[in-house]
This record gives sequence, C-alpha cells and structure tokens, in this order.
Amino acid sequence: MSKSYFDETHTAIGHPKSTFMQWMLTVDHKRIGLMYAAVMFTFFFVAVATAFLMRLELFAPGAQFIDGDTFNQAFTLHGVIMIFLFIVPGVPAVLGNIVMPLMIGAKDVSFPRLNWFTFWLYILGCIVALASLFTDAGFADTGWTFYAPYSLTTSTNVIFTLVAAFILGMASILTGLNFLVTIHRLRAPGMTFFKMPLFVWGIYATAWIQLLATPVVGITLILAILEKYFGIGIFDPAKGGDPVLFEHLFWIYSHPAVYLMILPAFGIMSEIIPTFSRREIFGYRTIALSSASIAGIGYLVWGHHLYTSGMADTAKVIFSFLTFFVAIPTGIKFYDWVATMYKGKIILSTPMLWALGTIITFTIGGLTGVTIAMIGVDIHLQDTYYTVAHFHYAMLGGVVFLFFAGLHYWFPLVSGKMYNETHAKIAFYLQFVGFNLLWFPMFIAGYYGMPRRYFDYLPEFQIYHQVSFFGAVIFITGLIYMFVVFFKGWRNGKPSGTNPWNATTLEWHMPSSPPPLENHSKVPYVDFNPYEYHHGEPVVKFDYETMKRID
Amino acid sequence: MDVNNTLQGFNTMAATFAKDVDQAFWINFWISVILGLSVIIPMFYFAWKYREKNVKDEDIENVTHNTALEIAWTLIPTAMLMVLFYYGYTSMQVLRTMPAESESIVVHVEGKKWSWKHTYEANKNGFVHKSKELYVPKDTNIILKMTAPLNDVIHAYFVPAFRMKEDVVPGRVTKQWFHSEKLGTYDVECAEYCGTRHSDMYTKINVIPKAEYEAWFEGNSKVGPGEKEVEKSKGQELYDDNGCAGCHSIDTDATLVGPSLKGIGAKHDATYLKDAIVTPDKDVPEGFTAGVMPPFALPDADVDALVDYMTTGK
Ligand code: HEC
Ligand code: HEM
Ligand SMILES: [Cu+2]
Ligand SMILES: [Cu+2]
Repeated sequence: MSKSYFDETHTAIGHPKSTFMQWMLTVDHKRIGLMYAAVMFTFFFVAVATAFLMRLELFAPGAQFIDGDTFNQAFTLHGVIMIFLFIVPGVPAVLGNIVMPLMIGAKDVSFPRLNWFTFWLYILGCIVALASLFTDAGFADTGWTFYAPYSLTTSTNVIFTLVAAFILGMASILTGLNFLVTIHRLRAPGMTFFKMPLFVWGIYATAWIQLLATPVVGITLILAILEKYFGIGIFDPAKGGDPVLFEHLFWIYSHPAVYLMILPAFGIMSEIIPTFSRREIFGYRTIALSSASIAGIGYLVWGHHLYTSGMADTAKVIFSFLTFFVAIPTGIKFYDWVATMYKGKIILSTPMLWALGTIITFTIGGLTGVTIAMIGVDIHLQDTYYTVAHFHYAMLGGVVFLFFAGLHYWFPLVSGKMYNETHAKIAFYLQFVGFNLLWFPMFIAGYYGMPRRYFDYLPEFQIYHQVSFFGAVIFITGLIYMFVVFFKGWRNGKPSGTNPWNATTLEWHMPSSPPPLENHSKVPYVDFNPYEYHHGEPVVKFDYETMKRID
Repeated sequence: MDVNNTLQGFNTMAATFAKDVDQAFWINFWISVILGLSVIIPMFYFAWKYREKNVKDEDIENVTHNTALEIAWTLIPTAMLMVLFYYGYTSMQVLRTMPAESESIVVHVEGKKWSWKHTYEANKNGFVHKSKELYVPKDTNIILKMTAPLNDVIHAYFVPAFRMKEDVVPGRVTKQWFHSEKLGTYDVECAEYCGTRHSDMYTKINVIPKAEYEAWFEGNSKVGPGEKEVEKSKGQELYDDNGCAGCHSIDTDATLVGPSLKGIGAKHDATYLKDAIVTPDKDVPEGFTAGVMPPFALPDADVDALVDYMTTGK
C-alpha cells in the first residue's frame, strides 16, 4: 500500500516522532483543512446547543428557565460563534484548504507555513472569544453586531469578544492572501482562469473579499476598543461621537462578508450539479463571472442594513437600487444550475440531494432578501423575525447546507472511505424538513411584528415559536444523525477508490486513495475544460503515475 | 410592566400608508413566487424526467449555451426586480415624506432604557402634556420627533399596525409621521436591541375621536383622556417621569433590573438614597453591577421629593 497523507507529513519545525505533534505542526493543506473541520464543527455544535436553549426558552412567553440577561448573552454567543468562528472561516478553511490545491494540480498552498500559522491564529482567536465565558463579567450581551453605544456601556465582557473578532479577522485575511497567491501562481500549466473548476472561482472571489473587506472591520473593532477603554469619542454621542457611524463601518465589512460565506458554497454547487448530471455545466463563464461581479457589487450595498437608522432618504434609494443588482447575478447562477440538469442523467446521491434541497431553501432565502431590499417594506420588517428567518434561510439553508453537500461529496476523497448512503439520505430528509419547520413560521411571526432579540413576546406569537421548536428538534436530530453516519463511514466504511462519483476535476485523479502527501505524482498539463463528459463518462483520463492523458 | 401584554392591532392596517407598504409586500410576494417557481419547477421536472433509470448514456447531451434563453432569464427577472425596487421606493416615499408641521400635531418622543415618554407642545394654557402612552386624534397628521438621552443607547419606535419604524438615537432627532383613520389602540415595540428589558419596552398609541382629543389636550389633566386623575405627589410624578419604574418595582418585591424599592426607607437613610440617585455607582447593593443605573442629575428639591416618595410612598 502506498503512503497517504495520514501516514506522513511535512511540519513547520523539526521532525517530531509523535503522531500528535505531527498533527499539531503539520503544514499539509489536507491535514490543516481537517483540523479546521474538527474545531469548527465542535464550536458549531456549541452554537447549536445555545440556539436550542433559546428555542426552549421561547417555547412560551415569559421567563421559562433563564433570565433576560442570559438570553441576551445566549444569542450573542450563538451569533458570534456561528459567524466569526464557524461560517466566516467556513468553506474556505475546510474545503478550500483540502480541495482547492488538488483541483489546480498544486502540491500545497503557496505558503504552507503561513497556512499553519493562520490555523493557530484562528485557534487563539477562538480561545480569546470564549474565554470571557469564564470571567466574572460574563460573555458579551451586545449581539454579534456590537452596536455602539450599547457595546460601550454594557458591563459584560465585550473586550475579549472584540479582540477575538479582530484576531479571527486577521486569520481570515491571511487565508485570503494565501489562496490568492496560490491560485495565481500554482495552477497547473495550461490551466487558464477559464479552465479552473468553479469551486476555485468561488474561493478566488472570496479571497479578494477577505483581503479587502476584513481590514475595515479590524479598524472598526479597534476604534470600538479605543472608545470603550480610552473614551476617544468617535462613537459615543455623549462626547460628540456618532453611533450610526459604527453601524456603517460595521456593515461595510459585514455585508461583503455574507458573500464571502456564500460564494465558495455556490462553488460547491457548481461542482456537484454537473457531476451528478453526468454532463458539462451550463454557462460556465456566466457562473464564474457572476461570482466576481457579486464580490464587486457586494461592497456597495451595506446601507440596506440601515434603512431605519435615520440615514438620508437619497442614500437609501441608492443602496436599495444597488442591492437589486446583486440579486441578478445570483439568480442567473440558479438558472444555469437547473439548465445543467437538462438532458443529463440525474443521479440522486446524497451530495446531489443536498444540492437540490439547497436550491429550494436558498431560493427562499434569496427572495426574502429581496423583500427586505425594498425600502418601504423593510422599514416594517427590519429587526423583526422576518429578517432573522431570511438570514437563517440564506446562511443555514444556503451556506451550511452546501457545506454539508460538500462534506458528503469530498468525504471519500479525504477519508478514502464511503459512508452509508441510505442513512445519509435519511439524515438529509430529517434536516430538510426540520429546517423548514424551524424557520418558515418565523417569516409569518416577523410579518406580524415579532421583533428580534426578544426574550419575552406577546402570547399571539406563541404558536409560531412552538412549531419552530419542534422543527428545531427534528433538525438537530438529523444533524446528529448525519455526523454519526460520517463517523461510522470514517471507521468502517468501504474503501471508495479514487473516483467514486465519476467526476472530472483534478482532485479525483489521485494516484491513491486517500491522496499521498504531495498530491498528484506529476503536475498534469491542463488542456481541457473542468467538466468534460461524453455520454456520461469523464472525457479526460490519466495515467496516475505519469499524469499524462491516456484518453 | 404596566403595559399589559396583549397583541393589539398587528394584523390591522391602521395608518394611511400601511396599505402602500402591504401592497408592495404582496407584489413582492407574488413576484417572488413566480421567480422561485421558475427555478424550482424545472428542477423537479428535470430531476424526474432525466432520472437515472430513464436515461441511456448515449442520450445525454452537453447543452452549454442558449443565447435566447440566457437573455430571457437575465432580462425578465431584472425587469421584475426593477418593479420591486420601484414599489420599495414609492412605499418609502409615503412613509418618509413628512407633512408640514403647521398641518400636524408634533409630539416629542423620548426612548430610554426601558420606557417611552411622549411630550406634547404646550396647549393654550401653556400646559405641557407628558404621557407614557401616545394619544392622538383620528384623521390627523402626527409627527413624532424622537430622541434618546445622551447617556442612553439606541432604540427603535416600531408600530406594526402602522408598518412604521425608525431608530431613536442618542444625540440625534429622528422623525416619523403617521395619519390614522381607524380608532383603536395599537402596540408600540422597541425594535432595536437595548439590553436587559428590550423585550418589555412597549407602549401604546391610542387613536381617539377628535373632539375627545381636543377636550383632553386643552385641559390640564395629568393623565390620559378618559382616565381618572389620581392625585400624585411630586415625588411620584418624578418617579414616573424619569422611568425609575422601568428598573425598580416599588409595590412588590420583584427584582426587575435594579432591586425592589419596597420598604427601602427602613433599610437606608436619606443621604444614602440621595447618593443612590445622583451617583448610583457609589454604593452598589449585592448581586447588582455598577454602571447599569444611569446617574440622574436632578435639582436637589427633586431628589428630596424622590426620596420622600421612596420612603413614605408620597
Ligand atoms: C436602567 C435601570 C435603572 C433605572 C432607570 C433606575 N435605576 Fe435605580 N438602580 C438600578 C440598578 C441596577 C441598581 C443597583 C446597582 C446600583 O446601585 O448602581 C439601582 C439602585 C438603586 C438604588 C439603591 C438601592 C439599594 O438597595 O441600595 C436606589 C435608591 C435607586 N436605584 C433609585 C432609583 C430611582 C429613584 C430611579 C429614577 C430616578 C432609578 N433608580 C432609576 C437600575 C436603575
Ligand atoms: C440549529 C439551528 C439554528 C437554530 C435553532 C438557530 C436559532 C436562532 C435563534 C433562536 C436566534 C435568536 C433570534 C433572536 O432572538 O433574535 C438566532 C440568531 C442568530 N443565528 Fe441562529 N440558529 C441556528 C443556526 C444558525 C446558523 C447555522 C447560523 C450561521 C451560520 C446562525 C446565525 C445566527 C445569527 C448571526 C444570529 C443573530 C444573533 C444576534 O442577534 O446577534 N444560526 N438563531
Ligand atoms: Cu447586507
Ligand atoms: Cu430595545
């Protein structure tokens, strides 16, 4: 048996003998991706548990078993973990790291040591973020948005969270930088930009956002820290500062950040749909360029979060208008994906089920986003559960669902084994049904005027919260089920072989399964498009020793 | 709190512009349904039509372009989205185009942790009405000029039945207006997160007949129209005006945000209580944190009156 990346590794310093130290010091992109996955999903479960706590509390109006302050800390903890620890590093840190270099025929990212450093910076950020749980003042209660002046005056421990968000932002910038250089410099010869798989395009567009937008939030967080602890008077109205300025600065980053979450996820969709339709993708260039244009226009729409902040009406109109122009390229992608299924052969394996399920949930998430891009309507719906339901449909029903799709898709690549498909499908259906039950009622509650971040609510909203609670139970059951399926697959799954899905892109052309430490045996020459099928069979075939084409 | 929790009028349209907002919402809803189905129906259809069993490998076709279709699915949704942008814009216009102040009643709103206060312009006698709930005549333009104290945080004045909302920002005056043609009582909620009792920051808007409003407004009653005036001491008035009740209960032992003030006179002397109002961080009772209660810079006489009220109930 040839050696896989589990058997040997390169390390940042020295040649440690112990397996443990080899993992801690590894610079191999595949191992680093796996370590991100382990840490991120651990936190994900903490955040899900926190969310379940909130759902339990909201089962009936009035206090059930926690008080208002604890509830406020709970949604802050949930939001901070989900955003800064989980979904912002998200798909790039895990699947970008593992798959992107393989897809472009590289041996690793451009700066493997920097990649290692970034991982540990991320870990430091996580520790600082959660450390305040154990201080006297307790975890921040500001919401994940840290709006001034509330964050300046609260007695809870916001400094840890702000510093952590800053560190995590730093890690995000470094990941972006590393990936940008990798994609520019390490593509296999012959692979022009328009021969890259679309997942790489997603990672590429994202990397620019990470690099250019994240510094803005870094500066904002520093200003907030200086304001809170040194009273410089930028945001504090009592000193002549402007709290609304904070909102602007915050959203200048945080709006592009939502595209930073979704673009790599769209990339996953673009890999899965052609593979399981056994044909070439429809509108390759349109999809690639729409990612780029979303990343571009995404910088100019942040004001749609501030329609009720007292901003000038002219500014609202401009922001609203631009926002509609992000919806267009997004919509086109969906038509392209569906068109890819036309005259294909649709194989409903688990990754495809997740992808198709997401077409439904993200369509709802995207179109309800259009509702609140409409100024007059948003004035009513802003800061209600309609908005909360919208972003859960987009982030959970969009990004996270596609993340899961990607995990199922690349699981055999990473582990060399196959999970049990039947059980994996049951887990999908549970989560799909649970999710819709969990969040759809909240659109209605929001429409009738149920504000967000409410610990207590008027009795008329109870029915929606109760349905939502049962949805959460089903969803979380499915979630746990899915991870059990993964664990079992990892331990006892059948060997998958190098290309179990009959896919075309380079990561499926490995000499062995799981892949060896330095990936492909030789750097391939890429004179073909990423999704070339003929009569349902991949066109391009390689001799895995020489990486020469043999078709 | 004293606003009892019943949902009032959320599903009614009680302001003139509510119908514009709802119209924009429902246009959006139906266009969304069309756009959504234009993706989801073909998806299901293809997944069924080209299902694995049904397709022979030779029949797979690599269709990668279709210019006419691509133009159609770019331009048609774009046109629909522009319609939505337009209705978003027009519904904003009716919400945000303030009527002339000369043809409206102006009411000043102060939102602070965690209560609302409405202050009217002086009436003929020079008397200024202040009230927790808002009383307005039917069929009249009302302009709200809203702000929060400098040492407070952002709130938002949200009236679901009117479909209107605007942030209430310390150090700024934001405005919104409405015109209601429906008598009734409508809930106001705080929609911008403001801390511990954010979800208790309710008040109400009472739309009453014009004559009733006039009679009340020109009088000097210290309570709302139709309410029986109870004699209030100066201390109690200050206690209500300054929103102490938002954080302290005084008739019961319930701990809200601060400790209950019931029987406080037996526990502390007047000096302590004065300090507790003017410099609350000086002595912090056990189980509470400093920095939550804002310092109140009130004239000495007012502080004395408050202390009297707390110790004697008068
Ligand atoms: C934002 C909430 C809030 C408001 C509004 C508020 N308080 Fe307090 N108050 C507190 C908290 C919290 C404490 C305990 C911590 C402290 O002493 O600073 C407290 C403490 C006190 C104490 C001392 C109690 C003791 O047992 O030592 C007094 C007296 C008091 N408040 C009176 C008032 C009066 C009178 C007003 C209105 C003018 C008022 N408070 C408004 C939150 C509030
Ligand atoms: C198990 C599934 C989930 C449940 C049951 C859940 C539930 C909730 C609830 C009840 C709230 C509080 C709403 C409020 O009071 O306003 C909330 C807020 C939030 N959730 Fe989730 N959620 C889930 C998954 C996610 C995921 C996957 C993400 C992102 C990746 C996410 C991101 C957020 C954010 C950013 C907030 C806002 C926090 C804030 O107001 O500061 N959630 N969620
Ligand atoms: Cu945004
Ligand atoms: Cu509030």
